[in-house]
Amino acid sequence: MILRKLTLAAATMLCCVRILGAQTRMPDWSGQWEIVGATPNASGGMVQPLDEVLKTMQWGPPNNPQTQATVDQFQGIIRKRLEAIRSGTDPGGASGPTCTFGFPMVMLDSPLMFEVLPTPNETVLIFSGREVRHVYTDGRQHTPKDELWATPWGDSIGHWEGQTLVIDTIAVNSPFRNVPPGMIPVIAIGAEIEQAVITVLSPEAHFIERIRMPDKNHLEDQITVIDPTNLTEPWHLSRTYQHVAHLHRMVYEDCEGEDRNPVVNGHYTLAPPPRGESK
Amino acid sequence: MSRVLQYAVIVIAAMLTASATLAHHSFAMFDQSKTVTIQGTVKDFRWTNPHVFIQLMVKNEDGTEDEWSIEMTSPEHLVRVGWKPGTLKPGDKITLNIHPMHDGVKGGQYLSGIGPDGQPLIGTPAPSQGQAK
Repeated sequence: MILRKLTLAAATMLCCVRILGAQTRMPDWSGQWEIVGATPNASGGMVQPLDEVLKTMQWGPPNNPQTQATVDQFQGIIRKRLEAIRSGTDPGGASGPTCTFGFPMVMLDSPLMFEVLPTPNETVLIFSGREVRHVYTDGRQHTPKDELWATPWGDSIGHWEGQTLVIDTIAVNSPFRNVPPGMIPVIAIGAEIEQAVITVLSPEAHFIERIRMPDKNHLEDQITVIDPTNLTEPWHLSRTYQHVAHLHRMVYEDCEGEDRNPVVNGHYTLAPPPRGESK
Repeated sequence: MSRVLQYAVIVIAAMLTASATLAHHSFAMFDQSKTVTIQGTVKDFRWTNPHVFIQLMVKNEDGTEDEWSIEMTSPEHLVRVGWKPGTLKPGDKITLNIHPMHDGVKGGQYLSGIGPDGQPLIGTPAPSQGQAK
């Protein structure tokens, strides 16, 4: 009896020590993070001009000829449409409010801040637009094929290599409305609604990320995209995230709230919130 | 229409939705080619998702006042550059630079401004230093 109790106590202690050990090994990535080079301004756009976004962020995907042809065609149509919007001959193309960027956009070029919560069995990335990435680090494999379907955030598993979180993501699809299956556009966004199509990935795209903290004010994500269907070779790019200044808590976006810009007679207009409304 | 072009048209709509996530709508109603300066008194500073609005009373040529609706970005983006719900109060006399509406409605897109203390309102943050790598 005494031996049983001692064995139970020893097992409990060992378990606690292992949990505590795992917790103490978790890096402290607390605080709010934003993508360096993707800064929102007070007007509703981005600070950085598209040229700067294209120059300072690593892009340069190894598109195969067919993918590049598609990208070029998209870009030509976008350019014409943006000109029409600016001239007022096109009412604009927003088909509805949404805060969803999906992966990989949410890590590559998004104005939304996020938090990272590492725990021994799972790391969670929570974005201000209410998007969440769950990265399971408990040793499991990807969800079995017959239980898996594509989502805008994919299926992510990971492991720790020292203080570096290595994430493996598959089964991603596009969050953008009306995009047919089989296309995951990656877009660079600049000031004054400028945007550039960088590439279009396939459903077979496989993403490997290595996230680490090079110093206490920055996180770095080294991303490799493997997509033999649309890319000629693995695509390597990285992003740096910095602590959000002026703020020490999460503030949520609510894109699904009231429409402040209803379409009247085919044109967008303004609909200020009623006095006293707070959402 | 070719299949690629068909896809392109669909994707363009989607992409503009993506860009609209920055403002949750289109910028189409604002005349991006014009910048107008208006002076007036804050009637209300409506701090709410998905957009914050400054309701500004502006004197017109008749000497009466018009109410202008000036649209800003979301609270999430504004707090990150230092704005607060109390940054502007009813009665504050301010000057705003805006992109006006295409259709002549008294409203516009916030660009920058001068606050009641004569100092520039919290505006565009300094651009980031670019990617470290």
